[in-house]
Amino acid sequence: MLDVRDLSVSYGTIRAVRGITFTVGKGELVSLLGANGAGKSSTIKAIAGALKTSGGAVTLEGRDITSANPEQVIRAGLATVPETRDVFPDLTVAENLMLGAYIHRRDHAGNRENLDRLHTLFPRLAERAAQAAGTLSGGEQQMLVIARALMARPSVLLLDEPSLGLAPAIVERIFEMIETLKKSGLTILLVEQNVNQALAVADRAYVMRLGAIVASGTADEIRSTSDLSAHYLGG
Amino acid sequence: MAFAIQFVIDVLSLGGAYALMALGLVIIYGILRLVNFAYGELIMVAGYTMFLTSGSGLPWLLMAVLAVVMAIVFGILTDYVAFRPVRAKSVTAVLITSFAFSNLLQNAALLFISPRPRNVPLPDIFSQTVSIGGAITPVRNLITIAASIVLLAAVAFLMRKTTLGIAMRAAATNFTMARMLGVPANLIISSAFALSGFLAGVVGLLWIGRIGTVVPGVGLEPLLVAFIATVIGGMRSLPGAVVGGFLLALIDTTLNYTLSQDLLKFRDAFTFSLVILILLWRPEGLIKGPASGQRT
Amino acid sequence: MKHSYLTALILIAVIAVIAVGSQMIGIRLYDRIATNLLISLVLVIGLQTFMGNSGLLSFAHIGFMGLGAYTSAVLTIPAQMKGMALPDLYEFMKVVEISPLLAMLAAGVVAALVAAVVAYPLMRLSDAAAVITSFALLVVLYTVMNNWSALTNGPRTLFGLPKTTEMPIAAIVAAVVVVVALAFKESRTGKLLRASREDEVAAAALGANIPHLRWRAFILAAFIAGIGGALWGHFITSFAPKAFYLKETFLIITMLVIGGANTVTGAVAGTVLITVAYEGLRGTEATLNAASSGSGQVIGLTEIVLALAMIAVMIVRPGGLFPNREIGHILTRSRRKKEKTA
Repeated sequence: MLDVRDLSVSYGTIRAVRGITFTVGKGELVSLLGANGAGKSSTIKAIAGALKTSGGAVTLEGRDITSANPEQVIRAGLATVPETRDVFPDLTVAENLMLGAYIHRRDHAGNRENLDRLHTLFPRLAERAAQAAGTLSGGEQQMLVIARALMARPSVLLLDEPSLGLAPAIVERIFEMIETLKKSGLTILLVEQNVNQALAVADRAYVMRLGAIVASGTADEIRSTSDLSAHYLGG
Repeated sequence: MAFAIQFVIDVLSLGGAYALMALGLVIIYGILRLVNFAYGELIMVAGYTMFLTSGSGLPWLLMAVLAVVMAIVFGILTDYVAFRPVRAKSVTAVLITSFAFSNLLQNAALLFISPRPRNVPLPDIFSQTVSIGGAITPVRNLITIAASIVLLAAVAFLMRKTTLGIAMRAAATNFTMARMLGVPANLIISSAFALSGFLAGVVGLLWIGRIGTVVPGVGLEPLLVAFIATVIGGMRSLPGAVVGGFLLALIDTTLNYTLSQDLLKFRDAFTFSLVILILLWRPEGLIKGPASGQRT
Repeated sequence: MKHSYLTALILIAVIAVIAVGSQMIGIRLYDRIATNLLISLVLVIGLQTFMGNSGLLSFAHIGFMGLGAYTSAVLTIPAQMKGMALPDLYEFMKVVEISPLLAMLAAGVVAALVAAVVAYPLMRLSDAAAVITSFALLVVLYTVMNNWSALTNGPRTLFGLPKTTEMPIAAIVAAVVVVVALAFKESRTGKLLRASREDEVAAAALGANIPHLRWRAFILAAFIAGIGGALWGHFITSFAPKAFYLKETFLIITMLVIGGANTVTGAVAGTVLITVAYEGLRGTEATLNAASSGSGQVIGLTEIVLALAMIAVMIVRPGGLFPNREIGHILTRSRRKKEKTA
């Protein structure tokens, strides 16, 4: 589904991502783990088209999206939820969701149906539809950005640290929701520092350190690797 | 009573024009973080289009439409000449190119038309006066008020109710995120410049309608007005720009009626000192703009 | 550090070549152009001390040049002429008449003082707010010059300044300003200021109070602008406030930006290049005007070409001709490279 081959990202002379290779199969939930500064977010941004790659290739369902810009990437079927939880604070919840469906803006019936489905998944967002997104709590904002990404009806969803800075109870709910999405057949790449929780929902995982992939395997294999915490903590 | 009516009409007509000027500037700054120095020249372009078509025998309304269209065209041209090629570079680079483009247009008018004022055709109604409750007022002031109400309502509708408008507001707070949802960057940028040009074009008609002539430097005063109104109203808030425009008109009109002739000469110095003070007190302007924001 | 001396030496040599060269040719026009160039050099380098180190664009610079020109005018116009040149001048100032050299210093001091008072609070601002306030400051200064008739003769031309600016004086001032600008760049203030552009947090950690550093640079720039204004005033001997407004602002910003705002070398290169281009284009305009006598004037062509050049430079080489290294630095580096390969 999503194939990343020898991907490199540089900021000036600093190489943040050094030729990493990984794949996400159809319907799979793959987790990308690693400490702060391991290069996870740079990888996500590069795939999403928000950051220039300095080498390698990204293909989505056989289509090369390596040098695509962000608006082309979403049209190709890959939606990204950045770690910065970027709601448009001055826009209402409904307007935020409406922009999520920008690429389907002519298909009113399809959008309404999709919105109804998301409102059952996130009843909070239905209640607050007319409220400015900036007034939502952190957890609600996280739900909003995920729902907004789903309004684009993507075939692959990139989730960058959805649990960042949220209270444990809310993190729990977010992961429940990720599991629901996975069961619905959505292909997901989940970037996390929260190793245990990520491995609990993931089929497979890759561990990144200093811009390179240092371990990979099924969730169980990764969990049983003894030096995981060393990698995770950044050694 | 007559004086009160006179005063209100003065403030509203001046304020309407100011508000439109400020709005056209803020649309570009809010979304693209560009202080567009070439904004005043769009007003100049509208004026010269009127002058150049004046001998054509076209009905006035058609000439006016043409003038607005030309302002839009030059607005979009600003994007391609001064903004797009350097937008990935530094803030200073973008400022300098827009300043250079402003000089380019002004001097092109000097070279190809004339440094001397040129008459702009105006319909008779612009020079008529009407008496309202004892106050004699030019009809063009009432036209300005009506035009600004219609345009402000139209812009509000565009920004609140249409997908394009909502996408533009989204891009103003987070350009990259808007793109990640599939909103094309180029569409937003071109729309912003086109809308800015449209407002400048209409303002051009109203503004030049007050003077009756156009000169290469005609855009400077509207640019300065837009600067001040924007600063008063908040650098990045569209409603703020409108409020700022009306507030500035209130200040200006009041100073006009109260200041002695000797001090009136220093009016610009007063208002600009006020701008500096306001920015010191609140660098974001009196009314806060959207919460976050980054350059494209 | 050593290459700074080399840079100073080279740039002063350039000034000397311009000064001596134009004298040797012996054409009055060239003498005028060269003197004008040297005065522009003073102004552009003055702007460079602020813009090059702080990274902020200032539109107000020409306003301070105006302050300098008017200060020097009021102090030097002979007492018997003052009745005519400045009819509304305050009584006690009518008798003042000091030497132009002293007046030039006073011009710098007045500009610096005004800058110190006005700019202190402004230096906190950055981005659009900084640009708009500096623009606003230019308008304020211009409005004041245009209307304070007692001191400036209002929007009318002020005349009667003694013509004391000759080529050698302009050359000496320009040379001194080059040295001052280079020294300021290498000073602790200059270095911290430039470091703060790269990384505000790190510079603050080094103990840099950025607004205060910018303030110092701004005062120095205004001082140099004031000197430049006086120098120009005594060269042109009569002028009006509109000489200190947008057109001239555009010109010096063009010079600095095309040459490279970050380096003194860039300021010098840009001034020389643009002056030559400007005079060449002006000549072309004059020829065209002579050829098409009567059928409309050719004006604005020069500015159009400069504006296009400026946009082109911004697109192709946004740092200008000398974006970050001074000429001395470039030469020592290339020599070292050669030694290595040898």
